[in-house]
Amino acid sequence: MKKIIYSILTLSLLVFSCSNDDDLATPSEPLGDYENGIIVSTEGGPSSISYISNDLSTLENQVYFNVNNENLGVYLQSVGFNGNKAYIVVDAGTITVVNRYTFEKLGEISTGLSLPRYIAFDGDTAYVSDWADPSDATDDYIAVVDLNSNTVTSTIAVGEGPEQVLVNSSKLYVSHKGGYSTNNIVTVVNTADSTTDTIIVGSKPDEMAINNQGDLVVLSGGNESWTGNETQASITKIDMSDNSIISALTFADGEHPGLMAYDNGMAYYVLNNEVYGLTDAATALPATSLFSITASYAYGLSVKNNELFLADASFSANSTLFVYDIATGTETNSFAVGIGASKIYFN
Amino acid sequence: MKQSILFLLGVLFSLSIVAQTKLDSVQKLEEVVLNDVKLNQNAAGFKVTVLNDSILSKNNSTFTNLLRFNSNIYFKENGYGMVSSPSFRGTNASQTAVIWNGISINSQLNGQTDFNTINTNNINQVVIRNGGGSVQYGSGAIGGSIHLDNTLDFSSHLKNDVKLNYGSFNTKNVSFVTDYGNEKFAFNIGINYIDSENDYKYLSKDQVNENGAFNNLSLSANLGYFMSDKDVIKLYHQSFLGEREFSGTTATPSKSKYEDRNSRSMLEWSRNGLSYTSALKVAYIKEHFDFFQNKDSEFFSFGEVSTLLLKHNFDYKLSKTLSVKSILDYNYFEGEGSSFGEPNRRAFSATGLLQYNPNKKVNLGFNVRQDVMSNFKSPLLFSMDGAFRFSNHYKLKINGSKNFRVPTFNDLYWQPGGNLDLVPESSYQVDLGHVVSFNWLKFQLNTYYISTEDLIQWQPGLSGFWSPQNIAKSHSYGAEVGVDITKTFNKHQLKFTSNYSYTVSENLETNKQLIYVPFHKANVSLAYSFNKFSAYYQHLFNGSVFTTADNLKGSFYSLEPYDVANLGLNYKIIKTTKNELDLGINISNIFNEIYQNVAFRPMPNRNFNIQLHYKF
Repeated sequence: MKKIIYSILTLSLLVFSCSNDDDLATPSEPLGDYENGIIVSTEGGPSSISYISNDLSTLENQVYFNVNNENLGVYLQSVGFNGNKAYIVVDAGTITVVNRYTFEKLGEISTGLSLPRYIAFDGDTAYVSDWADPSDATDDYIAVVDLNSNTVTSTIAVGEGPEQVLVNSSKLYVSHKGGYSTNNIVTVVNTADSTTDTIIVGSKPDEMAINNQGDLVVLSGGNESWTGNETQASITKIDMSDNSIISALTFADGEHPGLMAYDNGMAYYVLNNEVYGLTDAATALPATSLFSITASYAYGLSVKNNELFLADASFSANSTLFVYDIATGTETNSFAVGIGASKIYFN
Repeated sequence: MKQSILFLLGVLFSLSIVAQTKLDSVQKLEEVVLNDVKLNQNAAGFKVTVLNDSILSKNNSTFTNLLRFNSNIYFKENGYGMVSSPSFRGTNASQTAVIWNGISINSQLNGQTDFNTINTNNINQVVIRNGGGSVQYGSGAIGGSIHLDNTLDFSSHLKNDVKLNYGSFNTKNVSFVTDYGNEKFAFNIGINYIDSENDYKYLSKDQVNENGAFNNLSLSANLGYFMSDKDVIKLYHQSFLGEREFSGTTATPSKSKYEDRNSRSMLEWSRNGLSYTSALKVAYIKEHFDFFQNKDSEFFSFGEVSTLLLKHNFDYKLSKTLSVKSILDYNYFEGEGSSFGEPNRRAFSATGLLQYNPNKKVNLGFNVRQDVMSNFKSPLLFSMDGAFRFSNHYKLKINGSKNFRVPTFNDLYWQPGGNLDLVPESSYQVDLGHVVSFNWLKFQLNTYYISTEDLIQWQPGLSGFWSPQNIAKSHSYGAEVGVDITKTFNKHQLKFTSNYSYTVSENLETNKQLIYVPFHKANVSLAYSFNKFSAYYQHLFNGSVFTTADNLKGSFYSLEPYDVANLGLNYKIIKTTKNELDLGINISNIFNEIYQNVAFRPMPNRNFNIQLHYKF
């Protein structure tokens, strides 16, 4: 029923916006159908891309298939954006390069990758975290990609299970969630000479962000009890000038948050269907949540302009993207996006 | 519940009264010779279909294909030769029991049987029993059960059977069976080897089925010996060694490989008195798999379960019309695997079956069973069935039962997620069948209703990992129609068989059709023979299925319906009393239909197979 309402809404808004087009006096040429909107990557299978316009009036699922008449492989891990291109990382070993505004396929990087996870950019070079053989703890690497030729030019060996990657002033920061196992390090790669340094953080470091003070904020989920070696989750703040740890705020036993998003002075994280906000200045974790959410499986989180976007993933049916107004904690919109919705980006 | 039992009893009662008053003519029941006597004696009110030796030996494709084209069973096959799982009446693969010579062989790990690990060359008879059978066959017999039987022939004979096959995609299949018997002693031994590149082209795409090669070796040995007039010792054994690459999808290539090592052995001592039969069975079943995510890597994960089974059946004939049967069954399961340590569990069950045949027109069965398991409570199971022969040409069958499926090793012990608080899925069902038969025609219509609760489903939780829960409820209802016609003109013989099923199977919370349950499935086959020549044509229509729970249309959410047809020709080059040589050719998917059975996994294009079959 909801879906019907959305489609009617969408349709009517489309008609509206079409009829209004003539009145608009904006001279700038649109860059593509998928400009000015929210991109949700979904793991599938098959993997797909959903698009929601910034005014939340239009939803399109399976964007990549609709444009290119082919499917992305499984499982879509993440998308990286650089210039006017988007790089769709699929853990079966390919990165598909598309125009980020039209989603037309421009090329593919398939050799030199095994089980790629995330991509980050520094000029004409991209860095891709790769688990290689996930059963092997000693073969993990960062693939260095020449963006002009879309080829892997070299690799940098790193510890087990490199996950998210982030570039800041010629340094690459890699959180090591640990792949099939667990790990507790952040690798810092000097991109000039590929030398590496490691910082020890809590177990299973995953999401990373740079806060307004220029410090690196890392969420470590901690080992769950089933591993037989349960550890506490923590949020670690790292001074990026010397890789020293400024603070580590630990969670209570048994709490294992997995999602964090940073926006304008606040790190938002989700724990047991509660959204918490941690300010840059905070010296302790917040005692109370900002608001509650109702997700079956909170699997993706992003924040922009006082709106919080949450992917409630289903792997047997379409997932739901919820939009919350942060100030009031109310759900303002929801959209039926693809199967296994995971990451949310702003285009 | 009590009310529905009473209602059912009432229905049975009134029907039996009607039957007794109206019936006057006497007709002998059709005799089906089965070594699993429960199928013969305690299933009068069920739809039971037998695929005998001659049907099995004509099949030179997979077991999956044999059943897809000759029964109501629906299969999900991950590409040709890959994992293939059956389902009946809108239930799922783990709600379908596979029974080998009377004992369940569904995997203890995932509750299912992969039909591409079963070779029909080493089976004498396949019996399909539609509807619930947990009382007789235990966990998983909810939608129906498929029975693989080996028979021993205690008459003086020595028969050998050699088959050589070669087909498209460099597929080779060799089989040899020798069957010997005298009055006291009988055995048969079979060996079969299959090897295929399986690199078929994906129609309308410039891709081939990469990483899909497979080979397997299966062995079978069955022996029987009469120790005295009353005592028979039988030994059954089967082993299967398979190696398969697991093909990818149209969007994602695969490098994985899967190895099966399964074996089952059973020793049976039965004693047949005048009014009683006692059978003691001891069986040892072992299933083992190795999974290589990357076939070139040294790393793999594995799982195995060993089952030790002790079973005693006792049949006692109280009078000409009344017989009772007791079954005591003890199982010890021990598992080991990369993801679940070394758990074990025990199960004991006691079953009582009562068969009352007041006259030759009426057969009534009442059965109960209770299981006691080491991990959880099991419900009391029951089934009742009746068959009423109103005339020479019309028989009514009715049955009602409560059935169950226990959680598997994966459900209970998988790390992370395994849930020791699970309870068995439980299911009630009723089934009404009509059989109209003449010499040349058999028409069957079955309608059923199945309601299942505490369905076990794996779900992601707040803590981020997946865990199975007893959450969903579903019901399914539908109809199955079968028409078989046999006609003979002089030396021309024509045989037409057909099955159609209409299936609604819904999640009761969302009222949506369950995934991979076609509303419509139909197959027809026409066989013709004249002197030394024979031919067949078979056709399958498989309706659209949803691949996600939303019930949406489009390639991301559903699969298109498809029609596939096969054609076969056979010529007897030699036919003497001692020797027979057949040359056969089969063309599968003659119309080159583009179809997928599981989403994004195309099935083969038109392909050929040639067979030499020598019996001596």
